[in-house]
Amino acid sequence: MSDTPRLVVGPFNRVEGDLEVQLDLADGKVVSAQVNAPLYRGFERMLEGRAPSDALTLTPRICGICSISQSAAAARALAAATGVMPTPQGAAMAALIHAVENASDHLFHFNLFFMPDFTRPCYAGRGWYERAVDRFAAINGAAGRAAIAARTDLMHILGLMAGKWPHTLALQPGGVTRAPGPRDKLRIETALRQFRKYLERDVFGGALEDFCALDSPAALMGWTGGDVGLFLEIAADTDLAAMGRGAGRYLSFGAYELAEGHGFAPGLWRAGRRGPVDQAAIIEDPSHAWMLGGAAHPFKGQTTPDETMRETAYTWCKAPRLGGEPVEVGALARQIVDGHPLAVALAGGGVLARVAGRLLELARTQILMEHWAREIDTEAVFMRTAALPETASGAGLVEAARGALGHWVRIEGGKIASYQIIAPTTWNFSPRDAQGVPGPLETALVGAPVAEGEDTPVAVQHIVRSFDPCMVCTVH
Amino acid sequence: MSQIETFYDVMRRQGITRRSFMKYCSLTAAALGLGPSFVPKIAHAMETKPRTPVIWVHGLECTCCSESFIRSAHPLAKDVVLSMISLDYDDTLMAAAGHAAEAAFEDTIAKYKGNYILAVEGNPPLNEDGMFCITGGKPFVEKLRHAAKDAKAIISWGACASYGCVQAAAPNPTQATPVHKVITDKPIIKVPGCPPIAEVMTGVITYMLTFDRMPELDRQGRPAMFYSQRIHDKCYRRPHFDAGQFVEQWDDDAARKGYCLYKMGCKGPTTYNACSTVRWNEGVSFPIQSGHGCIGCSEDGFWDQNGFYERVTGIKQFGIEATADQIGFATTAVVGGAVAVHAAASALKRAQKKNEEA
Repeated sequence: MSDTPRLVVGPFNRVEGDLEVQLDLADGKVVSAQVNAPLYRGFERMLEGRAPSDALTLTPRICGICSISQSAAAARALAAATGVMPTPQGAAMAALIHAVENASDHLFHFNLFFMPDFTRPCYAGRGWYERAVDRFAAINGAAGRAAIAARTDLMHILGLMAGKWPHTLALQPGGVTRAPGPRDKLRIETALRQFRKYLERDVFGGALEDFCALDSPAALMGWTGGDVGLFLEIAADTDLAAMGRGAGRYLSFGAYELAEGHGFAPGLWRAGRRGPVDQAAIIEDPSHAWMLGGAAHPFKGQTTPDETMRETAYTWCKAPRLGGEPVEVGALARQIVDGHPLAVALAGGGVLARVAGRLLELARTQILMEHWAREIDTEAVFMRTAALPETASGAGLVEAARGALGHWVRIEGGKIASYQIIAPTTWNFSPRDAQGVPGPLETALVGAPVAEGEDTPVAVQHIVRSFDPCMVCTVH
Repeated sequence: MSQIETFYDVMRRQGITRRSFMKYCSLTAAALGLGPSFVPKIAHAMETKPRTPVIWVHGLECTCCSESFIRSAHPLAKDVVLSMISLDYDDTLMAAAGHAAEAAFEDTIAKYKGNYILAVEGNPPLNEDGMFCITGGKPFVEKLRHAAKDAKAIISWGACASYGCVQAAAPNPTQATPVHKVITDKPIIKVPGCPPIAEVMTGVITYMLTFDRMPELDRQGRPAMFYSQRIHDKCYRRPHFDAGQFVEQWDDDAARKGYCLYKMGCKGPTTYNACSTVRWNEGVSFPIQSGHGCIGCSEDGFWDQNGFYERVTGIKQFGIEATADQIGFATTAVVGGAVAVHAAASALKRAQKKNEEA
């Protein structure tokens, strides 16, 4: 029995941006949760009245971790408004640039944000504890240091192709500004070879293809190599599979849209089946956000802060819904929707499923990147230009590391008339909607154990981080 | 209170060898543009002086500065600096969470009163009593004022802390305000850029930790060693500018040949930063090298200058040898045509130089 009926957990560290979670407790368990995104900047307001191309510079600066995802969504939205898609090789290079960022994010999440929680003193005495501290202690863990070094090397590709990271300018509606030459191609392939070596030695302790061939949770739990093996040992011991289970509804806009199709397919997973995404059925509901206006599709939506911060609301984040329902997004969602057998078997799962989905995607993304690098045609056209129309609208739907990201732009008189963004964590950390239905994290937290006297409950930390939240994107 | 340990003590504790320590000192001297004679001075300072504690806080921002910082090409500097910072307080990277983190924050302030450097990433929004950015249940601006009160000096990381950056873009919905407009009674060094280059960040912080003082600043409060030259002056595409060879469209032949991006809106001619010399992602490249013009992200107001693809004008007003101090921030406008004048001036300058050498 806990004598604290209510607990506010936050600020969270090792989370991008600011986050607070309010928990109602009974009998040592969470019975209800409210997620508060306490940071608002107003990007959508700033974009109104500007030249549409300004979105390419301003929106990436929503986030220093997933800036390329924001670039990609802005470029796609403008491309859709213009009616001109990137050249095939331009799209492939944009995909490569984007994949490098996504792979980097997955790597960082695992090593620097998620795993360090297992070095908390509350786990001292477990058989794996000393090894976990050795590998994952914050700042000093060997795995974290190696991950920083490996990511820095991988990001040479972004240096080459995107000029700088964070906040590249190279992604444009018609392709990429940089046409890679034979020397660039060689350097990209070399960087990828080194990254594979690191992944297979440190992270997976085995061939990536072998990990991608796992097709059931039982097969997954039998994997013993590398830090992934250590994670699975910890997961089995602490029952991460049961912790923070999802509702089984997953959305993916489809990652890496190329001339020949998506790298990871788009779709909505619901009731154990994959169906198409009805874009018109997306709404944002501000009923529990300090925002004014009614529920609306992002083409019609607005972002007007409620300066009174009314009592009935509790966050700056609007509640996005697809067909009236909350959906979970992220690497696990993408892999389920893409139909990977291991991910499909993990559908509806909790902390273990989300982290395993991310690791699976890390391995599969490396294989995709190698493919695109091999196929670079240095003679091809990497960019086409087209004038933006005076009046148009377009949606840019992409997959950031953390899940489905959409930009919806309306252009009138050659200027941006409205710009609405729904980021991955907006979906996952959504507040309640007008019907009182909680968002995915709020649902996943129900039932999490809170031990007597725990003011930062470790189960809550695991569940929150299993979503890999990006709070600066959430509200923007 | 026990005596504060020296930098060298900290490094030894982090397992850094004497040999690596000396290497760090020489790399630091080189990075800061100091001669080899400074190496023993740096070593002596690090061995004898108590280390300077650093508190690193985040306001309205996107963490791109931290992201840049941890990828510094100088791994030793990064490790050393990071380990020194992490001993104290950092929002994003530290191990502690929740109340423990807030306690660590207060402990650090109390323990090192008047001696610590406050590194600020992001800025406070002042609208609605600061309610647009709440950390630990309080507006960030209160946390900032509280931490600044007993700080020895403040580093404003990036365009957000230095100038406001994109969240201050018109109509500045949250009234995002740069640090120096909120804290007016402390020495502040601005390290602008969105984000700043990793090596510039480690260079600045190493200098301050080593010499226990601010590096030389320009009139805008930026460290002169990194912000005294225009991107344009050291741009590898400069010969194409001087020769009048320009990219006119993203996909034209000139783009592939790597001609000058001035006509595509490059702000290199009005931007003071080290991108074209230090470069990005471990010296691999920088935006102009990837085929996109500079947007001038280390200059005040870069986000509200009438379009990122409009060409800058008024280059002639700068004179040939103007520095950041002499002109301050020049506004850009949409006119065009000054390029010929500037190109002629460049030719003239080359001719003068030849005469001097002859």
